[in-house]
Amino acid sequence: MVKLIANYAKRLGLPGYSSHQFSVSVETELQNVTDVAGESARLYESLQKAVDDQMQQTGFVPPDGYGMKEGEHRNGTPGERQQNGDAGISDKQLDLINRIVRENNANKSEIENIAVEMFGGGVRTLNRMQASNFIDELFAKYPRRNGSGNGNGRGNYQRQAART
Amino acid sequence: MNSGPAEESITVPPGDGGRSIDDLLRTVSASRLTTFHQCRLRFWYRYLSGIVKPKPAALHLGSSVHETLKFWNRARWHRRSPSLRDLHDAFSGAWFELLKADPVAFEDEDGEKQTGWKLLETYFRESPIPGDERPEAVEVAVEADLTAHGLPKLVGVLDLVRPGGRIVDFKTSGKTPDAEQVAHTTEGQTTGYALLYREATGHTESGIEIHTLVKTKAPKLIITATPPATDTQVTRLFRGIESYVKGLEREDFVPSPGLQCASCEHFNECRRWS
Repeated sequence: MVKLIANYAKRLGLPGYSSHQFSVSVETELQNVTDVAGESARLYESLQKAVDDQMQQTGFVPPDGYGMKEGEHRNGTPGERQQNGDAGISDKQLDLINRIVRENNANKSEIENIAVEMFGGGVRTLNRMQASNFIDELFAKYPRRNGSGNGNGRGNYQRQAART
Repeated sequence: MNSGPAEESITVPPGDGGRSIDDLLRTVSASRLTTFHQCRLRFWYRYLSGIVKPKPAALHLGSSVHETLKFWNRARWHRRSPSLRDLHDAFSGAWFELLKADPVAFEDEDGEKQTGWKLLETYFRESPIPGDERPEAVEVAVEADLTAHGLPKLVGVLDLVRPGGRIVDFKTSGKTPDAEQVAHTTEGQTTGYALLYREATGHTESGIEIHTLVKTKAPKLIITATPPATDTQVTRLFRGIESYVKGLEREDFVPSPGLQCASCEHFNECRRWS
């Protein structure tokens, strides 16, 4: 017996740096060993449709200001803030990231995926050190778009250069 | 107290080489602190006088090596394994770009460049960092708010943070360092890095490593590992910052003649100081 194991996973960004992900796996017996490519294509199509159908249900999406009280640090959910103590991503860092995303019409889920790839967690879960490196990464990915700036690729949203 | 040299012949307008005392009191960095405590007059020349000196060849070499190590660290972060050829290209690119931005009067540019690459070859051969180890942070700018202690904000850049919070600083040196001396002479810097890491992550570092690439005929890599910074070391750092603040406030910039003068770029100006 020859088995074909397939997995399809998708992660999509949602407003406010939320995201949701879903994956479906199947293990099936290959009926015709000479048609692995065809069988695989059919499985892919079927799994993708299953995942896409489910992912149209976004469930709860946090509205603006979710988790914020008067005077409260606004980044991250309470749980995420607890994870980093007082060292969670700062408002200033979050504003800069949002600005880069906005000015470059960047795909938020792609931005979120970069954070996950680099740090194993979404933007809101980053600590300040990770956020600093994440911003460096965004500056590298989205160089300035006009002639202004000082030529180091940080353009209009130029962060204060590390001057020690 | 005299606040600077009586006369200067090579000056440029403040803004590039010259900063204001107010600006230097808003934040403090390990390198400024070290320079201030080494020699206050050198500090004045370097940060306040507006005098701009040509970049020394050794500094250019060090910066190019540093850029190449950054390239290597970032590559590992993105799960890439650059070949020696890629690394050599990165080194040559950095050498060229840095030279374009900040010209250097070399006596033997090819020789210096060769020395830089030999250092890197040695490092890549002997580094304790596995080729597939993903960093926690690379060349990251961080700051620590010390206002609760009545001190300016501490700012700095961590060269590399290895998994588990092991802070690494890269240095190049012309002489083989003594481990205990390195630990002592870099204490202010390493304690500063520890504070910066703690403030920016909410965790305590697991240790600090100074990776010194030594420019001997047969290049060497010397690693000095120290444990996490102690409370005593933090207190010493705070005292040092206090002294920096008070010294700047009263414009106390006297010279401190010593062995360090041999490599001081302001030796001639200092001789004329009164």
